[in-house]
Amino acid sequence: MAVIKHTYYIYRRNLRLWVTQPAALIPPFFISGLLFVVFGSSFGDVTNLAGFPAEDYTAFLTAMILVQAMVFSGGDAGFSMLTDILSGYFDKLLVAPINRFSILLGSLLVTGTRSFAQSVLIVLLALAMGVSFKGGSLGIVAVVLITTVFGIAWGCLGLIIALRTKSVQATQSSYVLFFPFIFMTTAFMPKEFLPYWFQIATTINPVTYVLEAVRAIIVEGWVWSTVGLGVGILAAFTAFLLSITTWLYNRQTA
Amino acid sequence: MADGNMITVEQLVKVYPGGTQAVASIDFTVSEGEFFGFLGPNGAGKSTTIKILSTLLKKTSGRVSVAGHDIDKAAMEVRRSIGVAMQEVGLDDLTKGRDFLVMQGLLHGQSRKEAQRRASELLELVELEYAAARKVGTYSGGMRRRIDLISALMHSPSLLFLDEPTTGLDPQSRLAIWDHLQNLNRQGITIFLTTQMMEEADRLCGRLAIIDQGQLVAEGTPAALKDQQGGDVINITIQASTDEERGRHLAEALAIVGGRSYVSAANATSDGLSITVQDGGAAAPDLLQLLSEKKIAVSNLAVASPTLDDVFLKYTGRQIRSEESSGDEMAAAMRPWMGLSRR
Repeated sequence: MAVIKHTYYIYRRNLRLWVTQPAALIPPFFISGLLFVVFGSSFGDVTNLAGFPAEDYTAFLTAMILVQAMVFSGGDAGFSMLTDILSGYFDKLLVAPINRFSILLGSLLVTGTRSFAQSVLIVLLALAMGVSFKGGSLGIVAVVLITTVFGIAWGCLGLIIALRTKSVQATQSSYVLFFPFIFMTTAFMPKEFLPYWFQIATTINPVTYVLEAVRAIIVEGWVWSTVGLGVGILAAFTAFLLSITTWLYNRQTA
Repeated sequence: MADGNMITVEQLVKVYPGGTQAVASIDFTVSEGEFFGFLGPNGAGKSTTIKILSTLLKKTSGRVSVAGHDIDKAAMEVRRSIGVAMQEVGLDDLTKGRDFLVMQGLLHGQSRKEAQRRASELLELVELEYAAARKVGTYSGGMRRRIDLISALMHSPSLLFLDEPTTGLDPQSRLAIWDHLQNLNRQGITIFLTTQMMEEADRLCGRLAIIDQGQLVAEGTPAALKDQQGGDVINITIQASTDEERGRHLAEALAIVGGRSYVSAANATSDGLSITVQDGGAAAPDLLQLLSEKKIAVSNLAVASPTLDDVFLKYTGRQIRSEESSGDEMAAAMRPWMGLSRR
């Protein structure tokens, strides 16, 4: 299968660009660790509030840290494709006798690899901080998988902005727009503790459901209603973004 | 390629979204083994044409066949047969020179071993072995062009597309690239090149087409194009203390000279006139006298056999503006006057 071979070549090339740049690796991991420490120590005592659904705030926080890491690295696929488009290397790939879809696939697979590595690292960090996963070891696998898919979805969003704007600056600054997606969730507080308008925002935001599914597995164990809803919404969200990305990509390379 | 044509283009039109017409119905053919050039200024439609021919851009209408394959129906076959080196130099700066080449080979279906061998061979050809283990981002301008050129040769294509292969290079690097291109053509590779450099077209191309504003205005061997020019070219530099005065004198001089029966063409250049006559030696004294009667000071007069510059000027009414030209300021100052001779 030539498509698989070509996808692999492109994947390997993009992966090499990512791992040979330590400067691109360190910040996301550093921030995740910092968030654990900062939020964990400053808000740690809220678990004493009546009705707070978790005993360990660090455990409660783990889902948020996983999700923010995916959101903030979501631009990588967009950036690397944009860099190639602007340098002309993308054209070089386009004149090669390969299925053009393998270029997109190769770069999304790098995003998947990156997301996977990041979630594994954050989970290890959480374990080291004494978080116990109620969902058990299968729960840990599920958390990593859900987060990885979520990372790919967010990678698509980065690609969409990059392909749509063709501007490094726009791709970069659009990341400010993603802040609300993380904070307009129940990332720090359960819904009941939030004001009414905020509750509405969290209800519309698809990220809330993914976050709650991940958190349920960590804090409560296999609560199927929450996990099922989160996975369903994640699947729909990912499918939607993937199709828009593919459509824009096809238009770009047509 | 039943007809022996490497490239056949019929009524090719490209209109960009937004309505800009970059290519306005052009026809041409390139035979196997030819070194063919597209000569024209920036924005003439050269890059658009080369992008369409190399399957990077969709045409609006027309028929194009490259290396015996229709570009719409068999784009993949076309891509297998061609090598492409574009103006924007599509290099992978963070990758080492040799790895960059090997990647191209792999994408063209070579085994890793084959690709390694071919990469070494080509690195040797353009004397880049010493830099093979360095990242491409550390290469100088000339080295970048050379590695870009050989990356297009990894799969031994029968046809090579080059979009302004030496623009921005120093003279020494330019000569080196020219040597490589001539050698490749001698080995039987058909080359299609675009350039805005007269010297490059004259030196390399067996046949060329002059393209201006999306249209082919002339086609032939450099020698034939120069012959068509008919006779000698007299270049006159007009002396003036201000741009305004120069412009006025230029317009006046153009009117006087254009009225002489022995003048077959007269055009304004950036600082004077370019005049085509049968016999330069006989015409020069007469022209000088005419101008001095009108108090137009001539600081320099040269009689020359025609060059491709003159050919371009004749067909487009303008001098080609490449990086070697006298600069934007001068050209901007001259634009109103150059308009006189335009179509």
